[in-house]
Amino acid sequence: MRKVVAPDYTVFEHVKRHAEAVKTAIREAIIPESVTCSYPKERRKMPASFRGYLIFDPDRCISCFGCAFICPANAIRMKEAEDGRYYPTIDYGKCIFCHFCLDSCPEGALKPTKIHDVAYRDLDRMLTLTEEMIEPPEIIREDKRYVEYVIDGRDLHLRRVDGEDELLVDLPPPSKVERIVSCIDPESCTGCRICEEVCEHGVIRSSVEEDGVRMVIDSERCTGCGLCVKECSMRVLRLVRR
Amino acid sequence: MGGLLEWKVRVPDKPMKDRLYFDGLKANVIDTGLCSRCLTCACICPVDGIRVVDDKVDFPDREERCRDCGACIRVCPRFDYRPKYGMGDYLEFTAARSKRFSGQDGGMVTEIMISAIEMGMIDRGLFVGRDERWRPQVFHLHDSSQLEVGTLSGTKYTFATVLKELKKAVLLTRNGVGVVGTPCIVSGVRKLQMEFPLFRDRVRLVIGLFCTENFHYDELMRFLEKKGIKPEMLIKTDITKGRFIATMVDGEVKFKVKELEEILPSGCSVCTDFTAVESDVSVGSVGSEPGFSTVVVRGKSAEEVIAYIREKGYAEFGEGDPGQLDFLIDYKVGRFYVKTKDDKD
Amino acid sequence: MTGTVEALINLMMADQVAIPLLDPILNILYGIPLLGHLLALILWKPLFAALICPGFATLGGLLMLLPWIERKLVARIQWRIGPHEILPRMGGVIQLLADSLRFLFQEVIVHRDAKQPYFLQFPVLSFIPALLPLLFIPAGTIIAIESPYGAQIVLAMVTLFPLFILGLGWASNSRFAYIGTVREAFVYFGYEIALIVSAFAMIVLYGTSDPLAISGMQQVPGIILNPVAALAFFIASAMATSRLPFEIPEADQELAGGPHVEYSGILFGLIYVISYEKVYILSGLMTLLFLGGGSGPEIRVLGDLSGLIWFILKTLLVMIALIALRAIYPRYRLDQALRIGWNPVFTLSTIAVGVSLMEVLLL
Repeated sequence: MRKVVAPDYTVFEHVKRHAEAVKTAIREAIIPESVTCSYPKERRKMPASFRGYLIFDPDRCISCFGCAFICPANAIRMKEAEDGRYYPTIDYGKCIFCHFCLDSCPEGALKPTKIHDVAYRDLDRMLTLTEEMIEPPEIIREDKRYVEYVIDGRDLHLRRVDGEDELLVDLPPPSKVERIVSCIDPESCTGCRICEEVCEHGVIRSSVEEDGVRMVIDSERCTGCGLCVKECSMRVLRLVRR
Repeated sequence: MGGLLEWKVRVPDKPMKDRLYFDGLKANVIDTGLCSRCLTCACICPVDGIRVVDDKVDFPDREERCRDCGACIRVCPRFDYRPKYGMGDYLEFTAARSKRFSGQDGGMVTEIMISAIEMGMIDRGLFVGRDERWRPQVFHLHDSSQLEVGTLSGTKYTFATVLKELKKAVLLTRNGVGVVGTPCIVSGVRKLQMEFPLFRDRVRLVIGLFCTENFHYDELMRFLEKKGIKPEMLIKTDITKGRFIATMVDGEVKFKVKELEEILPSGCSVCTDFTAVESDVSVGSVGSEPGFSTVVVRGKSAEEVIAYIREKGYAEFGEGDPGQLDFLIDYKVGRFYVKTKDDKD
Repeated sequence: MTGTVEALINLMMADQVAIPLLDPILNILYGIPLLGHLLALILWKPLFAALICPGFATLGGLLMLLPWIERKLVARIQWRIGPHEILPRMGGVIQLLADSLRFLFQEVIVHRDAKQPYFLQFPVLSFIPALLPLLFIPAGTIIAIESPYGAQIVLAMVTLFPLFILGLGWASNSRFAYIGTVREAFVYFGYEIALIVSAFAMIVLYGTSDPLAISGMQQVPGIILNPVAALAFFIASAMATSRLPFEIPEADQELAGGPHVEYSGILFGLIYVISYEKVYILSGLMTLLFLGGGSGPEIRVLGDLSGLIWFILKTLLVMIALIALRAIYPRYRLDQALRIGWNPVFTLSTIAVGVSLMEVLLL
């Protein structure tokens, strides 16, 4: 066990340290350089990959239910729209902002923003419908500056910059493990061609020949959305690594 | 991995050109009266569109939903009908009474199914139970504890939609699936297995029942009501030695089976298979003394199960008499009757 | 009867606080019989000193203000806000008023083991060495009792403070009070000599302990004449008033209050007041000895009041310096504090005496 003793300073060093302390006190008394971000007048500048609320683009959605399946908090429910397709609705009361749904969307229909401070009057409104998700959520911005934390040497400083921090970001799509569809038991295929019908990219094609149906999977175009895997009536389609 | 993956699905020629495959099935099998209501077509249909409507198999919204894949025709045992008859090949002909379960006779169907589950050969069996009104209900049997609830075993003499549950069971199973059914159901399963490897690999045990005929539920209940038999009071139904015996809470009602001919379904009248010759094991009441079930072991999987039952001593074995089946086998062959266009009704 | 009253009035009129600014009004008011007598009474220098400055009124005002300044300043240095709830618009200035009201209405719990009647008497009695020195410290030219030994008397009274703290702790008759009291006694030994010797150094320098003379002599403030003494005196007074880093007897986080732990309600209010009074007295003494107490550019119109105002300002400065120490330093251990009291500070004060002697000889 090491004995902890006070360091052995000379008198001069003592005095210097005392003077240093008093100087800091006087400086802080005059202008305290506190590192508090006085929200809402200032906003902390978040990095572009900050996980905030999501924006949804229905034109890209293929109703694969991938986001609903992967949501760890069960915050996404798919609701039927007038065109018969299912689109996600997010319950932000449950959402943990992990952005798994965004990562798992094969078409990139969900987009990130940096917005994190949306207020609701009551809990029921936190269930965000698809129509409400197309535009970024409404927030009231009172901030005139944004704030960045800078570490230089051993000190933490707050730097205030005038201007509003842009909350809508344009990020490249997340990198994913590429998966494609494959039939693991072609002999059990009934030739019902449901997979061909649900595929949005024309990966699976059928052609009628005289003694039967020829099925072709063109994996170059496959995005790994898994819709055909889900819909196959004999469950003979699987996703495999590209 | 990349590039192209191809395969070919062999589909028979369309019976009716420019119409759906199901229309062809309907014209050739259902409307001609050949349909046995085994529902093998309903099992394989990818959109689950085929169902029984008014005691007849139909695909009501086929114009919108039928995929025209032809799977229903491929698996229908009555399309391209080759009637099976006789005793069939078997490895062992015996009689047995389960020590664990009680059923119609010796409770051997239940015993074989549960033993197969215990052996790990299958992890679920499709069983037919009934509610208080004797309406048949199909359920997945995993565990013997399920049998303690309600009245499950015992012949129902009405059609049950066993094969409609088969696809779900086959897709969900890990070890294998067991099926019990009448000879038409057994034929349907065999044709499924011939056409689709998925069923070949996963349906491990097929138990066939001795069957002379089955009845539509509503028709049978109406008939029984006229005889003064209320379904809620019924404990057991039995057809034996040409008589229908309905055991009720307050007594028995018997009448000759011949009287039931007026409600005999057409699909049954063309069936010649009494002993379910295509099954892995056939079980029935004829050929053994009362209280015992006749067990005809045909396939290897059934042989293993019976060996297991013997080893564990779960059933008491006796003597089976094949000769007793001859009458009914011949009766059913003789009854083969196909309605043609010339017949007047 | 009227003769004595006349004589008294004449006595008072002779020694009035001169405020040229208010002279016209005062002259009118003097004319009014009873009010004029009252006014003359108040403006009589000794009474003025005792009542207003540096007496009760100033004391009261500073007591109201000082804890607030302390809390706000320390909070600012520590990146906090300080008192904020009561009257947030004015920064919670009347926090102390709220506190005093609370003390007034709080229940005074006198526990069974308390040494009666000392338990109740000591808080009141401890005002004696706290208030008496006020009479001897001048604010400019206003002084209550003028005596050639003023500074020494104040010093003597200051050394009496700890005895009453000890009395408080003793009368409380409880464990924490006991520990706190013992620590107070230890700390007392630590700083007392240093305090007296450094004050003594200044007295030697000035050659007199007449407070008016001292303040008159300081064309060059004492702090420049003898900075060593100033430093020693400052540290010693920090120890005397239990200011961090020497807040050892109280030590809220360790002792829950030391000698003050058993007091509640108005008694605690009195004790709370006493500790800030000590700060005032010692700051006043320091201003007197080192900063020139009351001297400064004279504001003609205010007359005597100008010295008063300068005195208050300088005292305030010293008090703030004492108080701001709280934000800078953590608390010393008892043995460290004693070591400091006897090693550096005592050495410094002895050196201070040496420096004073040298200066007297040279100048």
